[in-house]
Amino acid sequence: MADEYPFEISPMFEGERIRKDGMHVELSGPKSKGYELVRATPMDEIEDGKFTLIGPDLSEMEEGSRHPFAMIYKIAGELVEEDLESIVERRNHDFQNYIQGLMHLNQRYDVWIRVSKDAVAKGLTSFEPIAQAVMMLFKNELPFIEKVEAVYITDLAEIEKEMDNVKAIYKSRDDRTRDLHDEDVDTFYGCTLCQSFAPSNVCVITPDRISLCGAINWFDGRAAAKVDPEGPQFAIPKGDTIDTVAGEYSGVNDLAKSLSSGEYDRINLHSFFDYPHTSCGCFEVVGFYIPEVDGIGWVDRDYAGVAPNGLPFSTMAGQTGGGKQVVGFLGIGINYFRSPKFIQSDGGWDRVVWMPKHLKDRVLADIPADIAEKVATEEDAADLDSLKNFLTEKDHPIVQRWEVEAEEEPEAEEEVQETPAFAAPPMMQGMPMQGMPMMMPTSSDTGGIKIILKNAKVSIEKVIIQKKE
Amino acid sequence: MTKVIAITGKGGTGKTAITTLLIRHLTKTNKVVLAIDADPDTNLPETLGCEVAKTVGDMKQFMQDERDNLPPDINKESILESKIYEILEEMPKYDLIVMGRPEGSGCYCYVNNLLRGILDRFVKNYDVVIIDTEAGLEHFSRKMIRDVDDLIVVTDGSRRGLRTAERIRDLTEELDTNVKNIVVVANKVTDTNRTEIERTADELNLELIGTVPVDSVIAERDLKGIPLFDLPDDSVAVQEVDKIAKKLGL
Repeated sequence: MADEYPFEISPMFEGERIRKDGMHVELSGPKSKGYELVRATPMDEIEDGKFTLIGPDLSEMEEGSRHPFAMIYKIAGELVEEDLESIVERRNHDFQNYIQGLMHLNQRYDVWIRVSKDAVAKGLTSFEPIAQAVMMLFKNELPFIEKVEAVYITDLAEIEKEMDNVKAIYKSRDDRTRDLHDEDVDTFYGCTLCQSFAPSNVCVITPDRISLCGAINWFDGRAAAKVDPEGPQFAIPKGDTIDTVAGEYSGVNDLAKSLSSGEYDRINLHSFFDYPHTSCGCFEVVGFYIPEVDGIGWVDRDYAGVAPNGLPFSTMAGQTGGGKQVVGFLGIGINYFRSPKFIQSDGGWDRVVWMPKHLKDRVLADIPADIAEKVATEEDAADLDSLKNFLTEKDHPIVQRWEVEAEEEPEAEEEVQETPAFAAPPMMQGMPMQGMPMMMPTSSDTGGIKIILKNAKVSIEKVIIQKKE
Repeated sequence: MTKVIAITGKGGTGKTAITTLLIRHLTKTNKVVLAIDADPDTNLPETLGCEVAKTVGDMKQFMQDERDNLPPDINKESILESKIYEILEEMPKYDLIVMGRPEGSGCYCYVNNLLRGILDRFVKNYDVVIIDTEAGLEHFSRKMIRDVDDLIVVTDGSRRGLRTAERIRDLTEELDTNVKNIVVVANKVTDTNRTEIERTADELNLELIGTVPVDSVIAERDLKGIPLFDLPDDSVAVQEVDKIAKKLGL
């Protein structure tokens, strides 16, 4: 079997680096051009096993030279569909690296390949056996591929001619993947990288929810879990859908329970108030409930000033972090602002009242047009009074909530006083303005007490709450 | 098997000079060498005489900055790997990589985790890896480099230099890094301080495996910013470092 090819094929050659010294030729890469592309093709348009080379072959290339290089694989099969293209394409990277003396790096139009002098010395003189080996591996390892044909191009003009079309294909793929949502998949991914300092943190990564650090999306989770299922990123079977809007799934709840050692048994992925996602400490943005306006503000780690509640990012982050479910605060990754499910069980963008300008600008394109100008920044509102005025003036949807609530509790009529900003959690400093009752959402259904402080200035050294003996 | 040697020590003791001469020695053998400059001060390229434009730190930052702009299902490990290969300075007998700038304010857990995997695979391609690192051993504490065969602590004639060696020894134990062997090399040694250095090393229970004499040629080249890599074979420092390399089985 191995005798068919002038090289060895084995996964043990993955990670083999071909240094400049040992390189016969360099193909594509940062200093040249090229791409790799897999295309789902109708069965009758493929001649199985056919290889076509456009441009000079390996034997015509001088030692130490660099050439443009493109690889196109047409695949067909009853189960082959366009959505599989990128997954199959990724395997070209694996399979070419299985070949001794071949180094394949990166993907799409950033591919970078080197062929070693040793491989050439052992008789590799053409690209054909490489293409044949890859096609063989495609069919062996991905049995849904029934027919495969390869075209390699080393001619610059030919590569440049096709480049725009190829980029358009990648782009349409990206548009499709951006359109992937929680309901389209049956697996989410978890990440425990933060558990070293937030031991009960349960980071759940879904198509509609990026990791809190902003670094890991659902596809990254999938890629990592596939390579190392026991690694820091792993699969979470979604289980039963308990609440589509809040984003509650039995699989996530089960995982929350085991990862947090029983501390939490429910997580609503798209809720701010009820059983919210835990917050690790490395989240990019922290959201904070502002009881005075019944809205949510967001502040990111690059914002040095204080939010309208009088607190800077660092204070709120310190309070929120550590892997807890902290009602009233929520750590998120910036990309979550772009999610169509962004805190949807609490009203989504209609509930957002404040964010720093640079953060707002960064996600502006994804803020619904009718709300964008109604979200205040530090330029519009630096404190609660100016925030309230701004929201009223812009007729922010939150204003309607005030009216409803005011009707419900007409007895609460209080003069507004300047709200002192002190570094206590806003949820404890309930100072309702103009008759807005302090309605802290609670994560427990067991009665308890409701404390409303009006026009209070409180300074407490220490509060100890103990169960009666 | 790849042999990993790290060189550290108090600032100004000449660890980069010793590193350079070790690399010089290794390139005269038939070994394939990877040089890693893990000192944020980044002097190694200059003493080796090569130019490095970009660092691992720059590439990590690129990943941080671009992460929301990249196609959603792109393989980020593969991008970072390619970026690391791109910044590698490929010299005739060795490759050089510079760790560079410290991290920014965001969370680097993910990118560091990717980098760990990439470096693990990457270093296996070399016979010897030589790491020039600052005394804080940051890249070891982050487990960027997991296993070290020999940790060479370079000291000058001062008691402080040897004290640093002692602290580094304790630190490696605290960090839970896998360092097999810690040795000390005294640099800029003169006839007057030699005995004192030997006595202090002994007192602190440090294994002194070499004493590199003061070399006026090195001092002059340092002053003028001329590389040390091409020092002549008859330089006293070169000869002593060759001896040290042999003691370490290089």
